[in-house]
Parts: sequence; structure tokens; C-alpha cells
Amino acid sequence: MIPSAPFLCYVTDESPSPVDSVRKVLEGGASMIQLRHKSASGEQLYLWAKEMQDLCRMHNAVFIVNDRVDIALAADADGVHLGQEDLPAREARKLLGPKKIMGISASTLEEALRAEMDGADYVGLGHIFETSSKEKHSRPLGPEAIAAVRAAAGIPIVAIGGINRLNAARTIASGASGIAVIAAISRAPEPERAARELVSILQHQQ
Amino acid sequence: MSINTPAMLPRLCIVSSGTDPDGSGMQIRRQLRLLRPSLPCLLQIREKHLDAAALFRLSLAVKEEAASRNALILLNERADIAMAAALDGVHLRESSCPAGKVRSFIGRMLTGKSVHSLESAVKAAESGVDYLIFGPVFDTPSKRQYGAPQGSDALGAICRTVSVPVFAIGGITPENAPLCLAEGAYGVAALSLFTDTVTLPELLETFEKLLAS
Repeated sequence: MIPSAPFLCYVTDESPSPVDSVRKVLEGGASMIQLRHKSASGEQLYLWAKEMQDLCRMHNAVFIVNDRVDIALAADADGVHLGQEDLPAREARKLLGPKKIMGISASTLEEALRAEMDGADYVGLGHIFETSSKEKHSRPLGPEAIAAVRAAAGIPIVAIGGINRLNAARTIASGASGIAVIAAISRAPEPERAARELVSILQHQQ
Repeated sequence: MSINTPAMLPRLCIVSSGTDPDGSGMQIRRQLRLLRPSLPCLLQIREKHLDAAALFRLSLAVKEEAASRNALILLNERADIAMAAALDGVHLRESSCPAGKVRSFIGRMLTGKSVHSLESAVKAAESGVDYLIFGPVFDTPSKRQYGAPQGSDALGAICRTVSVPVFAIGGITPENAPLCLAEGAYGVAALSLFTDTVTLPELLETFEKLLAS
């Protein structure tokens, strides 16, 4: 099960030691961690996943792995997060079984509806605002896209892309169940404090 | 040393060129069509530049082409995609997710692993893989990133130590393959050698004779 709304999900960056920031972010109150690291080896991903899954259990947080269903199964993670260029959602669901969490990235209403049909537990909708973490060639969707998906689909929405202290509340007000951030935490001087502030903003919005 | 060989494990392994331009698998399918019904092959899909969705589509295309051929299809690194596409197995790198962990969810699918030292060969064999690929034995451009050629002596030491079948890789030719077999290799594996589909039929005929003796 995904955390109860409104929640903060931290997505790791390409740092050589992502476990350090995960530990701090959990202290700061994040309730979902996504291991996303495109350049690490399978063995390294597995070792990080084991460590992060243990940390998340200690903090009652949810741990998911980006793209690699194999690593999620090997480390007995709570689930996976898949992009549109990853293993098709239906195939991933067959491998994961009914209980594991499966999140799917969507950038249109159509993709969100398909994800719901394919057995996703949430959609990562974005990018909502301008973002520096990932190379994006399309325009930001804006928070109104959250409201549009909310109106048409029953699936929980995690807003992603350029979310920070100034705009986090608007995403929740528009119907997001949670926010996912990379840079707002990884590039903050104090990741734990950055997480704590975001969680506090989400809770006041509720 | 007794060798525990899975039933019908081929002794020739073809590794894909890593240059499939768009994930259509044209080159791999061309290679598959030239295989000999009398020579069983392992074909390892190793296209590191493709994302998971493209690898999945490629796996399905290759599997379809292989249906009527004497080949087992394995995917490099990604056990999840190999399972989703119902391939014959997965081939793990030395730096992949530990084989024992992959075994825990992959079931009875064939699981192989690349190793570049005696130490990792022993570790991998203990973790329950079906076969190992050791190299580079001889010099080859595609394997220089894995260090200097290790020679047939190192191959022999590994073959005498572990009880799983070992394939030699790295600069394999019809001329040096007999030396690898004499050192105890179960089979041979190559990438560049088999990419030219003009010379492939004759090479396969030669290897069939070499591996039969």
C-alpha cells in the first residue's frame, strides 16, 4: 500500500552514496523512497536496495525501485516505479504479483488512464513545473493537469517535476496524494531539514 | 572434476554485437537464420544501449525467430525482462545482482554468469549458476575493458577448480578453440567473430566439427 496522503516521496539522484541522503530524508519524515540510479551496476543497486528497504521498514516508509523489477524482487522491496520506456506495466505486474506496489510515470491523461487499467497503484504525473533534475523537452503540465487526471481517473496521483516549498501546496490542493522530489532535497544544504519542511507544508495543506 | 551440466546445454555461445540500431533485432535474427540444425547454440542478447521497453520488444522478436532453431536465448543482465519475454534464461555480468538472489525468483530458467578471475568463478559457482563464461582468454577489441588477456592457463585453473561448465571468451578462433577445450573448457563464446554473416556459415561448420571431437 502506498502511504496515506499527503505524503513525500524522495527519489535518489546519481550520487555515489545515495543511502546517506535516504537516511536523512527518512529522519525528516519522508514516507516513500524511490531508488533511481541509472549508472550503477546490478550488484550495487541490489546492495543499496537492501539497505534502503531496511531503513524504510524502520521508519514505516515505503521503498520502491525505479525501472529494475529484478532488483526489487531480489531485495524484496515494497514495489517498483516504471517509466513509459521501462518494462510494460502488465508484464511487470505479472512478475510482481498482486501485492507489490507498482507506480507508473505518466505525462498525459491517456497514459494515466492506461496505467490504472494496467494495474498501477499510483501514477507519477509530471513534470508539473520546470525541472532541472531530468532533461525535459516538453512544457511543464502545470497543477491543472493534476485536477484533470483527478477528475477522470480513480488512481492516486504523485506529482513530480520541479516541486519545491513554494509550489508543493498547490499540487496537493489540485488533488495530488503526494509529491516526489529529487533536487528540492538532494541539492538542499540540509536534506533532512528540507524534507521536514516539505512534510510540514503538505500536512498544513491537508 | 565432475561437471554438473544442465541437460542439453549447448557448447557454442554467440553474444550479440551490441549494435542493434533500433531494437528490431535484425542482426540477431540474421545470425539465428544461419544456425545449423545439428549445432545447438546459446544466443546471448547483449544490447546495453537499449532501454527496458526496447529490450523487451527485442527479446520477443528474437524468441519468435528462434522458435524453429536449435538455440537457447538468454538476455544479458535483466532477469525481469528475460522472464517477461519467457526467454530460456539470463546471463549475469560479474557486477550484476548476486546470482543466488536472482535464482530466488527466476525459478528454473537457465542462469549464467561472466567471471574475470578464479576468485569470482568460485563464488559464482557456489551461488548456483548453470554455467560460467571466463575471459578474456585471448586478446580482442570488444573485451579490452575487462583487462589484459588472461591466457589459457588461467582458464585451465578455473576449469579444474569449479564444477560448473565454463565457456572461454575473448579472441576465440577456430585455431585456438581446441586449446581451450584441452584446458577443460566446456565450450567457447564469441561476439565479434560471429558478427559477419558472410563468414558465419563456414565458421559454424568448423565449430561443429571442433566441438564434436
